Amino acid sequence: MEKFIDGLIRDFESGRLGRREFCQTLGIATAVYAAGGAEANAAPAGRGFKALGVNHLSYECPDYRKARDFYSSMFGMQVLNDKGKGRANLAFGPEPAKGGNFLVVHNPGANPPKPTEAVIDHICYTIPNWDEAKVRGALKAKGFDAPTGRDGSLHVYDPFDYDVQIANAVQENAFRR
Amino acid sequence: MEAFFATKLDEFAKGKISRRALLETLTVAATTTYATGAANAAAPDPALKIALINHISYNCPDFRKAADWYSKVFNLDQVGATKIDVALPFGKKGEKPFGVTANNVPLTSMIIRSRDLNAPQAGGAPRRKSQAVIEHIGYTVADFDRERAKVELKSLGVENVRDGGLYSLHMTDPFGYDVQISGVANNALSDGA
Repeated sequence: MEKFIDGLIRDFESGRLGRREFCQTLGIATAVYAAGGAEANAAPAGRGFKALGVNHLSYECPDYRKARDFYSSMFGMQVLNDKGKGRANLAFGPEPAKGGNFLVVHNPGANPPKPTEAVIDHICYTIPNWDEAKVRGALKAKGFDAPTGRDGSLHVYDPFDYDVQIANAVQENAFRR
Repeated sequence: MEAFFATKLDEFAKGKISRRALLETLTVAATTTYATGAANAAAPDPALKIALINHISYNCPDFRKAADWYSKVFNLDQVGATKIDVALPFGKKGEKPFGVTANNVPLTSMIIRSRDLNAPQAGGAPRRKSQAVIEHIGYTVADFDRERAKVELKSLGVENVRDGGLYSLHMTDPFGYDVQISGVANNALSDGA
């Protein structure tokens, strides 16, 4: 961190970095450091990138307001930057800029997405402190009487029939496959 | 915190504190936030409160080809391979997800598959045809610098690299899927603001 700040001061002294940029950059660096520690976030020495995780999912649907209301009321996602212009951000997990994920729900744009050979057929979200009875009870209260799947890993469909999976850390874990 | 940085920078610019004092003060302030943030991270959750993306289920004609591409570009390990899929976690076994301190939130993974989406699911019911689509995914990478990233992507042979907004780049994976990368500057507060 000290080396990084030293570089910032040098850029400020040489005029390459303005006062505002200096403070913003250091603010972001502090947030990254706070979220995971400098060593954990350092870029790899080899080629390619060190991926820290998913930043966002871009979810296109016929009516973003319907998706917004579903995901915020069902899963507690926080609605941000909804200006009533066909899109909103739905934040969850750690704070924004500190490891948080977000779903960008939006209406179709003028140019439809190019067809691809790949498809994201579902997204699975982790629910910590999973309590089977409480999770199933909460789903039932929202009108999902018969989710598919198994204890600790359940599937429901959202208002646009997109497959949504929720799971705990035991049932869905890459290292337990 | 940014106001504090600005104050100290002003003091330095006016000659009130030395360069060494500025460096030490800012370093202490930035790294102390680390300890405070970690201590305050835990909070109770209601029954359906989501903590993080667990996995992305990515289906394509050749999961090995896609997995190798994502492994190469993002330095991801491949674990738990079967005849039809493989998982690529964002981190090593035992690590916690970026920004998460809780023990019951696993690393986010991509599960890259090649399976028939028209086949009946485990319960016997056919998969519904969705009106919604995840048309691209953004990934956060460490130390993101757009110009450096362009050079790196080019050297990796990545196709269709292009600017995306203020803070990111888009590219195309081997199956034509739109992939975005950015640093933490692209987040739920800045995106679409």
